[in-house]
Amino acid sequence: MSRIQLQGLTRRFGAVTAVDDIGLDVADGEFLVLLGPSGCGKSTLLRMIAGLLPPSEGRLWLDDTEITHLPPQRRDVAMVFQSYALYPHLSVARNIGFPLRTRKRPRAEIKAKVAEVAATLGLTDLLDRKPRELSGGQRQRVALGRALVRDPGAFLMDEPLSNLDAKLRAGTRAEIAGLHRRLRATTVYVTHDQVEAMTMATRIALLNEGRLEQLGTPSEVYDAPASVFAATFLGSPAMNVVDTTVRAVDGTLVAEAEGLRLSLGIDADIPDRPVRLGVRPEHLTLTSAGGQGIRAVVTAVENLGSEEVAHCDTGVSVRGPRPLGVVPGEAVTLSARPEHLHLFDHDSGRRLAWQAASVPQPV
Amino acid sequence: MTTDEVVGESSRGRRLGGHVVLGVLSLACVFPIYWLYATSLRAPQDVYSLSVLPWPLSTASYTEAFAKNDVLGMLFNTGVIAVLSALGQLLVALLAAYAFAAWRFPLQRLLYLMFVGTWLVPFQATMLPNYVLLSRLGLLETLAGVIVPTLCSALGVLLLREHLNSFPKELLDAARMDGRSSWSTLWTVVVPALRPALAALGILLAISAWNEYFWPAMVLQRSNAVVQLGLRSFMGTEGNDWGPLMATAGLACLPVFVLYLVLQRHIVNAFVRSGLK
Ligand SMILES: Nc1ncnc2c1ncn2[C@@H]1O[C@H](COP(=O)(O)OP(=O)(O)OP(=O)(O)O)[C@@H](O)[C@H]1O
Ligand SMILES: [Mg+2]
Repeated sequence: MSRIQLQGLTRRFGAVTAVDDIGLDVADGEFLVLLGPSGCGKSTLLRMIAGLLPPSEGRLWLDDTEITHLPPQRRDVAMVFQSYALYPHLSVARNIGFPLRTRKRPRAEIKAKVAEVAATLGLTDLLDRKPRELSGGQRQRVALGRALVRDPGAFLMDEPLSNLDAKLRAGTRAEIAGLHRRLRATTVYVTHDQVEAMTMATRIALLNEGRLEQLGTPSEVYDAPASVFAATFLGSPAMNVVDTTVRAVDGTLVAEAEGLRLSLGIDADIPDRPVRLGVRPEHLTLTSAGGQGIRAVVTAVENLGSEEVAHCDTGVSVRGPRPLGVVPGEAVTLSARPEHLHLFDHDSGRRLAWQAASVPQPV
Repeated sequence: MTTDEVVGESSRGRRLGGHVVLGVLSLACVFPIYWLYATSLRAPQDVYSLSVLPWPLSTASYTEAFAKNDVLGMLFNTGVIAVLSALGQLLVALLAAYAFAAWRFPLQRLLYLMFVGTWLVPFQATMLPNYVLLSRLGLLETLAGVIVPTLCSALGVLLLREHLNSFPKELLDAARMDGRSSWSTLWTVVVPALRPALAALGILLAISAWNEYFWPAMVLQRSNAVVQLGLRSFMGTEGNDWGPLMATAGLACLPVFVLYLVLQRHIVNAFVRSGLK
């Protein structure tokens, strides 16, 4: 079991910088999820860790060994590919045993190891089949088996569930998470699916255009997003972000915009400042029209089964238990508790934190 | 209503018309072959007969052909040339195509264009230099002289590179992660997965080597080492000896027909893939 460290890892393709100066420290036994939109450099980063792609700059360590210039077969890592990459001409048993045969292990040992892995993954009855005779979920498990059989120091997985249907995906997600709990093997897992990231990760590394946007546990990333990008990437529907001005009114700070007035619950007196205000749809509550909050007109109501989402004309959405009790066309006022409001810098989009020390204290 | 009707299918009459046209065309293709075997089975005095059925049947032409030439030896030599030439070309094409598809290296495009370029150079242009080279090497009038210059075929490189380009790159990556070297990946992953394409190409190359006349004629000169040359011995200034000529030609076609019957699907595949002939 291994610790993976990246330092200033960068990869350029011509003029494109696919991965830009990424530093990460993946602790032994951790399940790190690389999360980000399509094209943000997740696969490129993972392929550099695997040794399939040389970095343009930066260094890599596995435990205490620098592996920046080691070829993949000399790094103690196994990879599961998005397309599974099973050898089409080999049976399931031979696919799983392939890495061991490469390492010239004794035949009996290979057989025992393959049988053990197959039993773990419920593949015992399929060992003689060819990959094309398997369902998507079974192929996925064979690919997993081929990685498991090596007992590697770390697992690298590139969107291993993206080719499965929704139901199978949920099942396999739980299976992989269970496997990780049992084996405690360091895993770097690439996905663009926020549900996978939230449910499986011990930590999430959120990438945007090749840069590390935020690194933290799922709750940290969800509850205290480091930027507007992080705030809007996680959550469904996305966090509402509105341009507002923070100003002091009667000694307390409020965020104000056209049809919007929310108290930040901070007693202070500062000059007006433009900020971007974020609030998650589930943290907005409907109050009787006329009070303080966000005034909006409901344009559509979505039924999610246990919950409902109301979309409003200002682009704001509200999420709550069904029924929400509003109909399209209705004018509503939405309020939120101060601790649920997130403030981001207007220009950089980075999270703003209130530092009491900087407040001029009235004597 | 039958279930195998095609949407938009026109009247029965037009479909029948189509079948008649196809039937006539295939008859036109098959007839010369039929006539070849028919003539070879006529008695010597009936060789010029125009009766459609060769009657009485006679194997005299075959006896004469075997008496005049070592037909079995010729067939064997031709077989050796076809097999070795096809295998050699497959090997060269496989290695070159793998390098072009799996690796990035400087001047790659230029080198590939040069490979393709050799395909565009007509045979007549390289024939004489090759001949001179063989003569210097002392390979004239040997089977090796026929085989060696054919070993590198641009066609094979072209076709296999196309196959390898559409070969999933993740499989190559997976083999690397599993610890295989490039060389071992080629033989344990790429070749088994490309078997149908390799078989098709191999058959295509073997058949064209088998049917080759001009190049063996140049290299082997007056000897009748291969069957296509053996045919010459029945052509003379005073006229052709049609019976044994047809018998030998019939025997020369036989292996190709047998191959075709056994591996029909692969061969059709080969010609379709190559976009040739
Ligand atoms: N071999 C390459 N040559 C040139 N550009 C590349 C190459 N590989 C990746 N890129 C570019 O690098 C960027 C990141 O690609 P990458 O495949 O890492 O994205 P990703 O996050 O894995 O996306 P996805 O979720 O769609 O798989 C993209 O802009 C892509 O176009
Ligand atoms: Mg990717």
